[in-house]
Amino acid sequence: MSARKDKNQADNSQITPVNDPVADSRLGALAGGIAHDLNTVITTIYGYSEMALEGLADSPEAAENVRRIIGAADRARMLTRQLLDLSRQAAREKVPVRVAAVLDDTIDFIRPSVPEGIRILRRVTAHDAYVNAVPDQLFRVFLNLTMNAVQAMTPKGGTLTVTIGCREDETGIHQGDQCRELHIRFSDTGKGMDKALQQEVFKPFVSAGKEHGTGLGLSVVADAIRELGGTITVSSEPGVGSAFDIIIPGAFFGTLPEKH
Amino acid sequence: MAGVMIVEDDSALRELLRDALEKRKYTVIAAADGKEALAKFRPSIVDLVITDLLMPEEDGLMVIMKIREIKPSTKVIAISGGGMAGPGSYLMMASKLGADAVISKPFLPSELVMKVKELLE
Repeated sequence: MSARKDKNQADNSQITPVNDPVADSRLGALAGGIAHDLNTVITTIYGYSEMALEGLADSPEAAENVRRIIGAADRARMLTRQLLDLSRQAAREKVPVRVAAVLDDTIDFIRPSVPEGIRILRRVTAHDAYVNAVPDQLFRVFLNLTMNAVQAMTPKGGTLTVTIGCREDETGIHQGDQCRELHIRFSDTGKGMDKALQQEVFKPFVSAGKEHGTGLGLSVVADAIRELGGTITVSSEPGVGSAFDIIIPGAFFGTLPEKH
Repeated sequence: MAGVMIVEDDSALRELLRDALEKRKYTVIAAADGKEALAKFRPSIVDLVITDLLMPEEDGLMVIMKIREIKPSTKVIAISGGGMAGPGSYLMMASKLGADAVISKPFLPSELVMKVKELLE
């Protein structure tokens, strides 16, 4: 939201427009939540109106009244559409996102559905590393990569290890406290892929098998990483496992309020 | 007749969908959230699950994953008031998790019933 200049303010020289993507993102989430709940109510209004109309074939006046209710619901639907547009507009804004927190959320989200015999390990050295991202963008990336690994290790079982660290720590080239390049790795001990599949795996509709989903997951991941200005590569060996390496430039450390 | 499970936290909409489906002679099991749905799910009875996505307790995405684990042939229709657009939308995620159909609220019950019939044919 931008701070607007107050026309009654005697000295407005100190007021400067402020871009607050975090506030925008929260307002967007609120608008989306209200629209979601209203759409549920409107569905019920449509539903009972439709049912009432079925029984009103012989009562044209009453049927007309029900149609007016449907007309009012149509207008309410237009309002919720506008709210959702507002919500989506805000959802496209990038905000600082703490990467390790997104990983925690992802694992908490997926853990109840992970079959027995599959372990997920976290090795995080860059605990306070942030990247600028659209809310949910990294969550989607992590969720897809985790689901991909879980599917590759089902039913045999295995271990997914997720590491988050600075490339500077790996290369030994530090520049102050900055973490210019964040390195995130998802490494599993699943079925693995042959060279041909590795070359195609980030293309849409390429999958290890029909039972493993639509094949859209990794293409979505690659698109999201590209949007962040990063890269993703895969290395794999059939029967041994696969590792996905993500490099995101422009990471920074901080203690910002949690919002991802 | 085929069995349909409705998972919806809004009680008015839940009862509306129950009415609409029972009128078409489907056996209906209703649940107010994902947790209740998983407790009530009977593979021998339920052929199709209609689930809202944003719910307290276990959400709809979790319902899809867990029910598919229990009975992979279960058909799933995801419904949500959050709309279809946006890469992070719940409906898009439900689709990626393998929902057979996604319907954005608000919708007409006849539209949903038609989709149920189509998927169970």
